Amino acid sequence: MADVTSSPAISGPGLGEKTLDLLLSGRGIWPAVPSIIVLVVVAVIPFILLLSLGFSDIEVARGEIVSQTFSLNHLTNALSDSLYWTTFKRSLSLALSTTALCLLFGYPVAYLFAVGGRWTRRVILILTIAPLLTSGIVRTYAWLVILGGRGVVNWAFLKLGIVDSPLRIMNTHWAVLIGMVQIHLPVMILPLVAVMSRHDNRLIEASENLGASRLGTLRTIIFPMSAPGIGTGAALVFTLSYTTFVVPQLLGGGNYLNAATMIYEQVVFSLEWSKGSVTSLLLMVTCLAVLVMISLATNYFTGWTKGRDA
Amino acid sequence: MMQNAADNAATLSQAAPVLRIGAVDKYFGATQVLQNCTLDVGDGEIVTLLGPSGCGKTTLLRCIAGFWDADAGRIEIDGQDMTPVPVNRRPVGVVFQSYALFPHLTVARNVGYALRMRGTPASEIEARVTEALRTVSLEGFESRYPAQLSGGQQQRVAIARVLVMQPRVLLLDEPFNALDAKLRSTMQVELRQLIKQLGITSIFVTHDQEEALTMSDRIAVMRGGRIEQAATPDEIFDRPVSSYVADFVGTSNFWDAQAEAGQVTLPDGQSVETGLSGKVRVMSRPHNLRLAPEEQGPWRGVVLFQRHIGPLIEYHVEMPDGATIKVAAIRQDRVRPVRDRAAVSIGIIDSAQVSVFAD
Ligand SMILES: Nc1ncnc2c1ncn2[C@@H]1O[C@H](COP(=O)(O)OP(=O)(O)OP(=O)(O)O)[C@@H](O)[C@H]1O
Ligand SMILES: [Mg+2]
Repeated sequence: MADVTSSPAISGPGLGEKTLDLLLSGRGIWPAVPSIIVLVVVAVIPFILLLSLGFSDIEVARGEIVSQTFSLNHLTNALSDSLYWTTFKRSLSLALSTTALCLLFGYPVAYLFAVGGRWTRRVILILTIAPLLTSGIVRTYAWLVILGGRGVVNWAFLKLGIVDSPLRIMNTHWAVLIGMVQIHLPVMILPLVAVMSRHDNRLIEASENLGASRLGTLRTIIFPMSAPGIGTGAALVFTLSYTTFVVPQLLGGGNYLNAATMIYEQVVFSLEWSKGSVTSLLLMVTCLAVLVMISLATNYFTGWTKGRDA
Repeated sequence: MMQNAADNAATLSQAAPVLRIGAVDKYFGATQVLQNCTLDVGDGEIVTLLGPSGCGKTTLLRCIAGFWDADAGRIEIDGQDMTPVPVNRRPVGVVFQSYALFPHLTVARNVGYALRMRGTPASEIEARVTEALRTVSLEGFESRYPAQLSGGQQQRVAIARVLVMQPRVLLLDEPFNALDAKLRSTMQVELRQLIKQLGITSIFVTHDQEEALTMSDRIAVMRGGRIEQAATPDEIFDRPVSSYVADFVGTSNFWDAQAEAGQVTLPDGQSVETGLSGKVRVMSRPHNLRLAPEEQGPWRGVVLFQRHIGPLIEYHVEMPDGATIKVAAIRQDRVRPVRDRAAVSIGIIDSAQVSVFAD
């Protein structure tokens, strides 16, 4: 790369243009070169360092690594530790239920967007995007106000006489789940909206003309055609909620252990870097496995989008 | 005029009309898009809605299909008022301009869609889909997706998809628009034969007069939301009720004249009878005119240029007042070649074929 950019001065004019042409031609990997460099620096190199930490016994003295020897101990220890299994199961079920609930709540909104008029669309778009303008931490803290012992929900329940003493919602699995769904809902709605608003209204009319009821049209036309959006949304929400740290930490009250909070404790509190890096590795591998499954499922349902001769 | 249309429907079908459109009005906000549209379509008849862009053809079709409600008037199919019947219960099949095939379903599933939505047993669906695909000569394409078909094939699928539910009325909104000229004319003939063979009552929309003449038993010429004339292609062509219809269907020559005592004097000296009086507009088709040497008649002009259209030659003759009159002759008739810039006189072959309009 350095060669290419420095050569115009030597070879005269035209080559700079040629380089630009090559970059813009879209042939080969040239257009992706800048981002590949960034990725190598900020992702690939740290990842290799992380791997090397996880697969070696290290000795640390005064904050520096003084010796490092290859070992599979951390991995085998982790795999035989039941705490790992329960934590990862919890992370997985939390992420999957967040994804499912986001789809359940997000789909009707996206449907409204697709069939709605100009104003419906505007309102939905503003309500979806506005939360993204504030930090996730702020939004998570808002739930403390709502769900806390003296929060809005308990206040209302007490006033209405539904409960006698404040419910304990904060610092439970439910608080975490509610927070996760709310935080990640826009990430589900946006890809759904992108796919569904491209729908040709004539397909819906054609389906009605052919005798389909509203529900029949939704089931056989609208829903299958939004499969690419569902796939994208599910993949994004799953990745974010499977690896999230802020929500479980704040709404789970510090003792809610999922994979991300586990890594945090291992690295920051107990200073077990190798353990932490193995946990990160497991988190990444399992996340990728689920993503592959989501993408296979999406591919299966969207074979028709592959155009001619697919 | 409406009496005329009704007579035609009666001669074609003898029985009661399948589709009755009675005094339908439609507004979008304050603008009236359909005005008192009245049309009866007999069993198995193909009626074309013909008119320029924006005259309300699609709107009328959408009212029949039930996508939109008419603001006044009623639409009946087999004597039953369609007003309270929702889109998915109407015995109407629509072939959309863009086909509107379901991209995520194979050809077979597209065609079987209507049957599945009606809960038809799977074995029967398969048989009827095969049958419908054979009707449109698309056997062997069952498992393709719409994106894997050519435009003409996609259109056949759209037609098969509608035919499979055996609609009482078939509506086609400019179905050939996306096809190239050659495929278009083959499809026109094929589709007409198919519809005739199946005996489906159809309304066909186009703004192409040639297409209308090819496809239809009757043509309804629309103008600004009204049906100006509904009659057989021959009648529309030979006896247009207004200069608008004459101008829209076929090539025509117009000139102004005075009607006196039930007579209009034609520029070549002949005269025709008329019920009108005062200022009138006279129309003659180019093939009802002939050229003669200048000295043989009083209606004189100069040949601007000539155009060869298949076996016809069309002469454009410039008159002294600047107007252009078109004269058509069969190629064999051209005894003496006429040169451009030649001074000629024009004669009317049959004065009974000349139309006189009030406007
Ligand atoms: N949804 C709508 N809202 C308001 N006006 C409309 C709407 N749809 C159509 N119109 C108006 O109604 C009139 C008739 O439209 P229509 O689509 O029926 O014309 P058309 O005869 O089918 O024309 P074309 O040959 O271009 O398809 C037009 O002036 C159009 O602008
Ligand atoms: Mg139209």
